[in-house]
Amino acid sequence: MTETAMRHDEIDEMLVAYFKPVPTAADLGRRVLAGLRDEWDPERFVARVAIEASARGVTLVRPGGRARPAVSRAAKRLAGLARQELFDYLEGRRSFFSVPVDFSRLAPFQREVLALTHRIPFGETRSYSWIARTIGRPEARRAVGTALGRNPVPIIVPCHRVLRSDGALGGYAFGLPMKTRLLGLEQATPVLEGCSTTGVVCRVGCRAGRRMRDDSRVVFASVADARSVGYRPCMICRPRS
Amino acid sequence: MMTMSERALMKRVAAGDTEAFTELVDHYGARLLTLAWRLLGNRADAEDAVQRALMRCYSSAKSYRPEWAVSTWLYRIATNVCVDELRRRASRSALHRAAEDTADDDRGTLQSDGNGGERAPWRRLDLRRALARVPREARILLALRYVDGLSYGELARVRGITINTVKSQLARGKSILRAELTGGRRRPARTEPTRRMPTQGAE
Repeated sequence: MTETAMRHDEIDEMLVAYFKPVPTAADLGRRVLAGLRDEWDPERFVARVAIEASARGVTLVRPGGRARPAVSRAAKRLAGLARQELFDYLEGRRSFFSVPVDFSRLAPFQREVLALTHRIPFGETRSYSWIARTIGRPEARRAVGTALGRNPVPIIVPCHRVLRSDGALGGYAFGLPMKTRLLGLEQATPVLEGCSTTGVVCRVGCRAGRRMRDDSRVVFASVADARSVGYRPCMICRPRS
Repeated sequence: MMTMSERALMKRVAAGDTEAFTELVDHYGARLLTLAWRLLGNRADAEDAVQRALMRCYSSAKSYRPEWAVSTWLYRIATNVCVDELRRRASRSALHRAAEDTADDDRGTLQSDGNGGERAPWRRLDLRRALARVPREARILLALRYVDGLSYGELARVRGITINTVKSQLARGKSILRAELTGGRRRPARTEPTRRMPTQGAE
């Protein structure tokens, strides 16, 4: 070994040793298959959800029952958009909702709690006490729980991203299995995707990205990474991180 | 080369043949795990990522198109999962990251290495530290290149970039490694690696 400079083949040798395959658990294939046995069907779920909207945004998402007829053409369009985005989201094809939410009919405290919850990034979680602290009412943890429990627009306003401080799940209007499923879904859905044909990087769910073919999708860890290999950020969804 | 039979295998996987899937997993599992481990820095996260990637492979086997080599397709899916995990980490709080960093260890591999005797562990640690200095995209390409000897064309397809970008990224990565490993040797040995950025070691 020379002391001044390492030869290329020497580095090569180190890399080969470093990347030498490590054996997996023998039953890996079986475990993967077992993990796939989930009867959950997003299409059926979305078909049953009742969605209401005003001209300013979505006002209600409810697991069942009938939605009141839309009050205007704009409201109808927003309810339809919400349904489409919900479906994309549950299919793992969307990491954000572009449809607006109308909080105007809510009491000020609940509006504040939900507006803050609305801004919790996809794939992340916060605690009830974090919400209470952030809105400047650290003693109101319980009230925060109640406000979230009565969230009229679950999933779109992601109250499932709020957990108890000890990491326990807390509650969920759609049931705890659904909360777990949504959190798992967000773990498995990428956020930044580039299209290898156009060289553009989008947030997953961007309408430009919808036209992307499956084998053109490349995931990036940051916009800077994507730029470093020649991609440019989309002008429509403007990914930042 | 087992590409012909691999494509036939994929056809069976797409038809829901679980035995064919297990065969595929047996064939690629170790390399996928190594890739994920080296990119994510610890075994637990790597196993999670591989499992997630394989689930995706199974459920989207129908969309596999035979003009792709099976290996290219698998590495694309696995790399995508790992890269997203890295993004997730970057957006987590610094506190979180520091905790993860201490949990991250290499001992498992050192012991499982058959020829570990002649490879001094400090060299491996040096290499790991040097790799942490390589920009992420170049590091990903290095990992893919050395885990399974993917060609430039395959690397380009896995990351959706041009062959020229692959070449320049690999060359840049290696020159950084060389500079780090050569320069790093002259520095006095440290008992505790001091890292300015806690994430770097884990990635």
